[in-house]
Formats: sequence, structure tokens, C-alpha cells
Amino acid sequence: MKDAAALAFNPADYFTFVLDREIRDAGMPGGYCGFALQLAAEPDLQALQQRLNLLVERFPQASADIEQRGKRYAWVPTGRPILLERHQCRPGEDAAAESQRILLDIFNRPESLPLTVHWIAGGSGGTLLLNWLHPLLDARGGKILLDFLSSERPESFKESPSLIDAKLAQWGFWKKLQLFIKAKRHNTESNSLDSCLPTQVEQGPQTLRLKVRQFDKEESQRIAALAKQHTGLTGRTLYYLGCFMRAMELVGPPAAKDGYCIPYAFNLRRQNAPTPVFGNHIGCLFARATRHQVRDRKVLFEHLLSQHQQVVRDELDLAYLPLMWLGQWLSPARYAKILRKQHSGGELSSLWFSDIGDMAWEKKGFLGVPVTGMTLMCWMTLPPGLALLAGQIDGRLTLSYSYLSPAVDETWLDAVIARMDAELLDNP
Amino acid sequence: MKEKLKNFIFAELIYHEDPASFGDDDNLLDAGLDSMGIMRLIMFAEKEFGVTLPDTEIEPDNVGSLNALENWIRRCGQAR
Repeated sequence: MKDAAALAFNPADYFTFVLDREIRDAGMPGGYCGFALQLAAEPDLQALQQRLNLLVERFPQASADIEQRGKRYAWVPTGRPILLERHQCRPGEDAAAESQRILLDIFNRPESLPLTVHWIAGGSGGTLLLNWLHPLLDARGGKILLDFLSSERPESFKESPSLIDAKLAQWGFWKKLQLFIKAKRHNTESNSLDSCLPTQVEQGPQTLRLKVRQFDKEESQRIAALAKQHTGLTGRTLYYLGCFMRAMELVGPPAAKDGYCIPYAFNLRRQNAPTPVFGNHIGCLFARATRHQVRDRKVLFEHLLSQHQQVVRDELDLAYLPLMWLGQWLSPARYAKILRKQHSGGELSSLWFSDIGDMAWEKKGFLGVPVTGMTLMCWMTLPPGLALLAGQIDGRLTLSYSYLSPAVDETWLDAVIARMDAELLDNP
Repeated sequence: MKEKLKNFIFAELIYHEDPASFGDDDNLLDAGLDSMGIMRLIMFAEKEFGVTLPDTEIEPDNVGSLNALENWIRRCGQAR
């Protein structure tokens, strides 16, 4: 019965599972991600619990355990209900600070469940938090899950097979081989530039901390216009990445090497699609630049844009799919070494990054309650010990910085964030 | 040409409940065509129609709707 219900990992699920293992092996809770919405009032929590029950009924994967099957891994549904956990901010304390303290307490606690849902009551409203394990779903899936929990038409959300497996099935053996070789060459090239890192620390007990920068509508529009000016229609993500590289370079990287490498994902789901909800449907790209390129703003953005366009022209956006498919047969430890290490043995990623894109809650709110803000969180490996998660909510850009403390120095990060603001708004 | 572009866009890039109702002048960017989608669309058009679409001309006037796309592709095809 259990075997019949098992859902095998797709290649990208396994990719994120390997990173989850790396994080756990370093003594941290695992590859968990958090998506928090600040709400102006308390939603109907009973209706929310009913929707969570429906979620488990409709999508058994939502409540499942990971089991190893031969060399591969699978989700095995348990049918356990997902119980909405309620928390209360201490009376008399600042609700925003209290809410963030509780968010971080939840996020730092040891966790074995793949998905937990929390309501943190504070002031007249509160914060709704989804906390999930990355192999279960990617950030776009998190967004769809929130839509499902709030939708007036939950029946319109259906599960569908892995988009990665569907893509791989379209290609014959030679096409896969051709893409695999392309990806391998690209990887070798990426590994040749030693990456600057936000810390020199590689081990020791760490706590996840958070800094959130929310821009108002006017600032967000200005940033969008500057992004269009510098990286064109094809590169808002590139603008954020370029600005971050410059901020880190201008403040001074704690582990100074040859350049910067920031992996970023592209999602195979169609825009606005309500499906698939679960699973990871992502490919991987790299933004890379030497320190020399980073120091000149104009040169940097021209370089990043041209690199991105060349990557898509060369089909490297899809080339990682056959590579990830083969990676499924490697042990987590061996795969992690390939994913993370450069030729020199150093860490490849200067930063973990994800851009969840635009979310619109203005019209309907969440279960009818106005959404006033958003916070994103994720655990990451050490190094780099720092992740930047971007998203736009009702036209306001939010940048959430998750970092490991004490590995990443808070004073240094504050200086980088201030410089990042100036770079985004082009205020020298 | 427009039909092929439309089929690719709604099969690969943008979800729409009823693609048939999407007009040739309707805004693709508002419908969800993002930066990665634009690049994939350009790659598809170059391969499918044998044209080169210059990076410097990637702007809303050329990729904002099915009609704009078709005009851009035809113009670039004639310029070869």
C-alpha cells in the first residue's frame, strides 16, 4: 500500500535534497524555506484549518516522509493532518519585532515534518507562515500553495507530473548527451573563477537570522525602471544580482578571491499556472563576474546581460536538466561535492538567491484579509551562509536576507544592505 | 506564424484558462511573460522562422503582443 503511494523524487527534488543533507550534516535544521505574509487582521482560522485538511486529501504529498528506495528517494504519504500551529506575541511588546522573534524561533527549531503552517497573532493582525522542506516544493510552489489555501476555487488546483521529467522525455538520447556535455563544459568554466564569500567561517554552531528591506511603491518603480535601463526587458533578476555583487565588493568581501558567482534558478512552470503545486521544477543558471568587472557598474550590467543571453541562446538553461537527471544516481555526499566545490576546493556560491516574482493580493487579500507585507526565509549551506530572497508584493519590492550568525558579521551585512539600497536606487 | 507563436507561448511560457480568447493585440507582458520567457520566445522564433532578432531591439514595442512580435519577426526577416 505504502509502496503504491510512493512518489519518487524528480531530478530537481534530489538536487535540493542533497543540499538539505549538507545543511543537516552541518548541525542545522535542514533545507527549510519560509514564506510569511503579514495580515491586517486575523483570518478565519477554522476555514484555514479546513483548507489544510483538504490539501492533505487532495495532495497526499503534503504530509509525507522521505524514504530511500534503492539508490533513489521518494515521498511516502502518511495521511497525518497538518495542524495549524498558533502563536501569540507577548503583550506590550512591539508586534513587528515580536513576530520576527517568533518566526525565527520556529525556523531555528529542529524539524522533521516537510510542511508546517503557523499563525502568529500580534496587535490587530498577525503573520501567517508556511515553513517547508525544499525537496517538497520550490518557491513558486509555495506561492501556489498560498493561493490554494486562500482560493475560492480550490478544485481548480490539480497536481500534474514533473515538468522536468516531461522535458527529458521529449529529448532523444543524443540530444540529452549534447546538452549534458554543454552543461559539463559550462560547469567547468564556472568553477574556474574562485568566488568571494561573505564569511571565512566553514563550521561551528549557527543560528539563522533575518533582515528585511521593504521598498515603497515609488522606490520599487524607480528600481524597476533602472533595471530596465541597465539590463533591459530580459533581466530584472540580473539587476538585483549585479547590485548585490557591487555592494559586497564596495564594502569588501570577508573572503576576497577572484570574482563572484551567484546561482539563480529559472522555473519551468508557466507563468500564473496553478499547477504543479508540489515538486521542484527548476533549472539552474549562474551569474558570474570578475572583481574588475564588478567595480564598473556599466561594464558589469552589460556583461551580466550578455552572459545571460548567451546562456539561453546556447540552451544552457535546459542543459542542467540531463545533468541533474544523472546526478540522481550519485550519493548525496558525492553529488554535493560536485555541486558546491570549485577546482581550488573553495565554495562556488557567493550567495544563495531566489526571485519569486510578483504577487498581487490587493484585490482579494488572503482569505479576504488585506496583506500588508511579506517575508521570505531559507536555510543555506555554510559557506556562503547568506541568502537573498526577492519578491514583489502589490508593487512593493521586498528583499529578505537570511544569514547565519555568528558566521556572517552583522555589522558587515548592515553595510552591504545599505550599499545595496544605494546601488538599486543608483544613489552613489 | 502568429498561431505557432501563440501555441508556443501558451504551451510553454504562460498559463491562460482560455488561450483562444487571448487577442492578437492583448498585452503579453501583463499576461505574465517574464524575462526568461522573452528569451525563450526569441530563441523559439529564431529557430522556427530562420531569422536573427537583435538583442538591442528587445523592447515592449516588439514583444508586447502577438501582432508586435509577428511584425518584428517579419521586419527582421526582410532585413537579412
